[in-house]
Amino acid sequence: MVEMDELKKELKKINTEAGKIRDLPVAERAEFGRKINERRTEILKKIAEAEKALLDVEVEEIDVTAWSGVNEKMPEFYPTEMGSAHPLMTELDRVVSIYQMMGFNVVESRQLDDEYHMFDSLNFAKEHPARDGYDTFRTEEGLIPPAHTSTMQHRVLKQYKKNLDEGKAIAVVVPGRVFRNEDTDATHEHTFYQCEGVYVSSDCNMGQMLGILREFFEKYYEQKLNIRTQPGYFPFTEPSLEFMIEKPKSLGGKRGDFLEMLGCGMIHPNVLKMAGIDPEKDHGFAWGGGIDRLVMLRYGLNDVRDFESGNLNFLRAFN
Amino acid sequence: MKISLNWLKKYVEIPETVSDEELIRLIGARLVEVEGVIDETHKYDNIYVVRVEKCEKIPETHLTLCQINDGSDELIQVVCGAPNVREGMLAAWIKPGAIVPASVHEDAPFKIGKRKMLNKYDSNGMLAGADELDFGDDHSGIVEIDPEMAQPGVLLADVFGLKDLILEIENKSLTHRPDCFGIIGFAREVAGILGLKFEKHTLERRPNLEGFLKKTFNSAISITIDADICQRYTAVVLEKHGEMKKKYLSWVDTILSKSGMKPISPIVDATNYLMLLTGQPLHAFDYDKFVKVGGAEKPEIGVRLAKKGERLVLLDEKEVELIESDIVITSNNKPVALAGAMGGQSTMIDEGTKSIIIESATFSLYNLRKTQMAHGIFSEAITRFTKGQPPYQTREVAEECAKMLKDGFKIVTVADEFKKVGGDVEIIISAEEINTLLGTNYEKELIKKTLENVGFKLEKDSNGFKVIAPRWRTDIKIKEDIIEEVGRLLGYDNIEPTLPLHATAEKNLTWELKTNLRNLMIRLGANEVLTYSFVSEKLLEKVGQDVKNSYKIVNSISPELQFVRQSIVPSLLEKTYMNEKIPVEKFAIYEMNKVYPRDLGLNDEDVPAEKMSLGFIVAERKNTETAYYKAKKYVAKILEEFNIVAEFLPFKKGRAEGKPFESKRSVEIFVNGEYLGVVGEFKNSVKNEFKLAPYLAGFEIDLGIILKYMSREKRIDCTKKETEDLTITTDKSYADTLKEVEKKYPGAKIEPSTIYQAKDQKTKNISFHIIK
Repeated sequence: MVEMDELKKELKKINTEAGKIRDLPVAERAEFGRKINERRTEILKKIAEAEKALLDVEVEEIDVTAWSGVNEKMPEFYPTEMGSAHPLMTELDRVVSIYQMMGFNVVESRQLDDEYHMFDSLNFAKEHPARDGYDTFRTEEGLIPPAHTSTMQHRVLKQYKKNLDEGKAIAVVVPGRVFRNEDTDATHEHTFYQCEGVYVSSDCNMGQMLGILREFFEKYYEQKLNIRTQPGYFPFTEPSLEFMIEKPKSLGGKRGDFLEMLGCGMIHPNVLKMAGIDPEKDHGFAWGGGIDRLVMLRYGLNDVRDFESGNLNFLRAFN
Repeated sequence: MKISLNWLKKYVEIPETVSDEELIRLIGARLVEVEGVIDETHKYDNIYVVRVEKCEKIPETHLTLCQINDGSDELIQVVCGAPNVREGMLAAWIKPGAIVPASVHEDAPFKIGKRKMLNKYDSNGMLAGADELDFGDDHSGIVEIDPEMAQPGVLLADVFGLKDLILEIENKSLTHRPDCFGIIGFAREVAGILGLKFEKHTLERRPNLEGFLKKTFNSAISITIDADICQRYTAVVLEKHGEMKKKYLSWVDTILSKSGMKPISPIVDATNYLMLLTGQPLHAFDYDKFVKVGGAEKPEIGVRLAKKGERLVLLDEKEVELIESDIVITSNNKPVALAGAMGGQSTMIDEGTKSIIIESATFSLYNLRKTQMAHGIFSEAITRFTKGQPPYQTREVAEECAKMLKDGFKIVTVADEFKKVGGDVEIIISAEEINTLLGTNYEKELIKKTLENVGFKLEKDSNGFKVIAPRWRTDIKIKEDIIEEVGRLLGYDNIEPTLPLHATAEKNLTWELKTNLRNLMIRLGANEVLTYSFVSEKLLEKVGQDVKNSYKIVNSISPELQFVRQSIVPSLLEKTYMNEKIPVEKFAIYEMNKVYPRDLGLNDEDVPAEKMSLGFIVAERKNTETAYYKAKKYVAKILEEFNIVAEFLPFKKGRAEGKPFESKRSVEIFVNGEYLGVVGEFKNSVKNEFKLAPYLAGFEIDLGIILKYMSREKRIDCTKKETEDLTITTDKSYADTLKEVEKKYPGAKIEPSTIYQAKDQKTKNISFHIIK
C-alpha cells in the first residue's frame, strides 16, 4: 500500500514537471518531452504491476490439504453425459489402431524440429525450391514446427534399423500435429494432423504399398474400395505417387468420384543411406496424409477451424 | 500451368480410340495432377468470320455504319465504333444471341443482341476487338483476320482451333520436370503414356552434345558468365529491316491467351510463345540502349551476382534493391536486368527499337528461388527457371525466335558462351530390378520400348540394360528414377496390390496412456479440446510466463501465434472465457499435447526437449464454492486410476506452468520426489485479465511422470468391511488431523467427508469416513 501511494505521488510529480515544457526554449522541448514520457510510461507500468500484486494479496487462504471447502458439499465429477473426446483424437486413435492391427508400431511426431529432420535427411537439396512448397514456420534459432510428419522418418529408420538385421521389416506409423504458414478458411488450417507410414524390408515393392494402403482405407471405411494413383513429386520418395480412393458410398460418393487421400512412394535410396540402411539390400515405402479431412468427411463437417476452436457447443456433440 | 489440348494434339497424334475424357484421365494417372479442366468447347459459339463490305461514317460520331457479309446472300448491318474498321477487311462477328467470350466465366455473361444505335441505326451483333474475344487487353480496334486463313461465313473457332479443353496442371507435381513446362516436352510424355513413339520436334534436330555445343565467338559482342550461376548464355542480335506491324489475329495470340498470358507486341509475343513451346524463357533487350548504358562500343554482356546496395529499375517501373544472391545481366558491368525474373527499364524495347538482343540462357535455380522470394516475382519465366531448365537448347530457341520475327528483323550476330556441361547420364539396370521394386512382371521388350518412346536410349549390358537419359531429363540420376519412369508410363494402376506378412506391433505406451485418459475423462464428464501450439506475447504476459522461455516464430501469421507455448493451461484459460461467453454454465475442459518451454533445454539430438502435458480447467459461471477442491478431485482420480501415490506439497513459484496459479490456493504434486505438476486456483489478476467467473481452478501435469510410475494393478478386497463415521473438532488443518486419525485406526482406509465450521467459531468439525 505504501508503495502504491509513493508511485502515485511520483506520477503527480511527473505530471507537474511536464507542465513546465512551455517555459523551455522550443529547441529543447522535444528532448524534454521524450524524457518525461519515458518516466511516465515507466511509472504507469509500475502502478499497473502494483495494482495486480494488490489484487493477488487480497486472496483468502484455504486449507489446501483438505478435500472440500468449509461448510461446502464434497465436490463431485460432472456427469458422463457432459463428457466428450475430441473427434480428431478419436479418429486418429482409430487410424492408429487399424495400423497397429496390421502390425505397425506407433511413434508420435514432434512439434518442434530442425531443418535436418524436416528437409536435409529427406533428400531435399539445400535451398531447393521444393522446400518452399511446405510454407514452414521458423523460430529465431531456425527451428521448424514440422510441416509434415515425415520429419520423423529419419529417426524411425534409425530407431528400427535393428529389425532389418533380425530379418524383420520396419513397420511404423507416425501420427502427429503439423503446421503450415497459410491463411485459414473453412478448408485450410495452419495447424492440422497427419499420419505417416514407413515400411522397409528386403523384398518390399510398390504392389505391397498399394495393398497396405487399400487395406487400411477398406478397414477405415468398413467397405471394399476402388483405388487409383497419379504421379507426384516428393524429394524423399522415388517413384512418388498420390493415392486416391473412390468416395465411399456411405459418404454419398458416386462412381468415378475419387478423393486424394495421401502422398506415397518408394523411399529414396539417399534417405535410406542417411539412416544407415543399405539401399542395395533393403527397400522401403512411405506415405503420409491428413487426418482432419478424413474426420470432416466421416462426420459431414464443413469447417476445419472448428477443430481448434475449443467451442463446447461443437465439442460436446462428440460424446 | 495451363495446357491447351488442341495445341497438345499438334505434337502428338492421339488415337481415335482414346476420348478426351480418357486422355485426361491417363494424363492424371501417369503424368501429372490435373487440377481442373476449363471447357471452352462452346466459348466461341456463334462467332463468325465476316467481310466488311461497306463502311459509312455516321456524321458527328465516332461510329461507322457497316454492311457485313457472313457468307449468306444478304448483307447484315452492324454499327462499329472501332477506328480501324474498313471496307474489304475480314473481321470477327459476334452474332446476336451469342455470348461475348471474355465474359463467359463472369457471373452475368454478356449476351449480344440486336440494338438500335442513336435511335435510328439497327445494329446486329458486334464486330469484336481482341479484348472481347478474350485474347488480351487490346481495345484499340477490332481484330482483323488473315484472308489466307479464312473466308466469310466460317466459324472463328474452326479457324483457330478454339473448341478446346484447357487443362489446369498442378505445377508442384512437376517440380523435377523442367522439360514438361513446354508443350513439346509435355507432348512427349503424353505419347509415352499412350505407348506411342514421340516424333522428334525440329528444335531437337541436333543429335548429341558434342555436335551442338560449339562455342560461337563473335568480335561484335562479348559475353562473360560465371559458371556457378549461369551454365550457358546465347545472345542473338537482330537488326530491323522492315516494319513489323501486327496486323492479323494469329495462332500465337490464341495460344498465349489460352495459356494464361497476353499478346503484347510481336517481339514479346514471340519470346513468350517459344517459352510455352519449349520451356526455355527468352528475353529481348533494346540493342542501342544496352550499348549506351554500358558506355562501351559494343555489347559487353555479363552475368554475375549482384553487389550489396546495387539497385535496378525493372520493367514494371519498380526500383528494387538487389540482394547478393540475385543474378544480374550487366552491360559493361552495369546491371540492366534481374536474370530469370524481369528485364530492366533502361534496356526495354519500345516502338523506336531498331535492333534487339535476344537472350536465351540458363541460370542457377537456387539463386533464382531466392530472387523469387526476395522480390516477390512469380512470372511464367521464373516458374520455369526455378525448375532448372537444362542448357541444351538455348541457341535453337533463340534462333527460332529470330525466324518468327523475320518479317521485321534479320540476324546480324550469334554469340554462344557456356561453361561446364555434364556428359550423358548412363544407368545400368535390369528388368528384374525394375519388377522387384514395382511388384510387376513386365517383359524386357516392353520396358525397352516404353523408355525409348520418350527419348531414352537403351543398350544391352551384361547386367541388363544400359539406359542413356535424354539431355532434357535433368531429373534422371539413379536406378529408382528409371524404375519410376517404367512404373509411371505403364500405369501404376496396373500394379497388383498385395499384403506383406510381418511381425506384430509393439505398444506405444504414451499413446495408450492418452487413450485411457481420454476414456476416463469422458466418464468424468470432461471435454477434450485442442488448442494451437503457438500463443501470443500478450497471453504469456497475462499468465506471468517469461516470454524469453518461449521459442519465437519469426514468420508467424499474426501476433496471436508468435510463441511456442510453455504449457497448456494458458490456452485453456482463453477457451474458458470464450465458453463462459457462449454461455456454457459449467464445464471441465482438458488438452493433452506436447509443450516446449525453453528451459527444458535440448535433447541428445540437439533439438528442443519436449514434454507431454495434460492441462485441465474447471469453470462455472454461478458457483460460489471453492473450485480448488473440484480440480483436486479430478487430478486425484487420475492418480488413483493409474495407482500413483502422490504427495501434495506447498506451492512454490518456480516453474513455467505454475505461473498463473495462486500460491495460497494451489499445491504442487510430487511422485517419488519427482515433480508431476500443479493443481489449484488462479491468481485474481489472471482471472481479471481473462475476465473469468470466480469459480475457476485447474491443473497441469507431466504425463511422462505418470507413465513412469503407473501400473494397472487393481487391489481388490471383496471381504465385508466395518465402517465408521468420525468427526473431530479442531483448529488444525485437514492433513494434520488426518495424521491423528491414522494413528488411531492403523491399516484402515480413511476417506474425507465434510468440514463444518459454525459462525464465530475458531474450530472446525472435520468428518471422516473410516473403512476398517
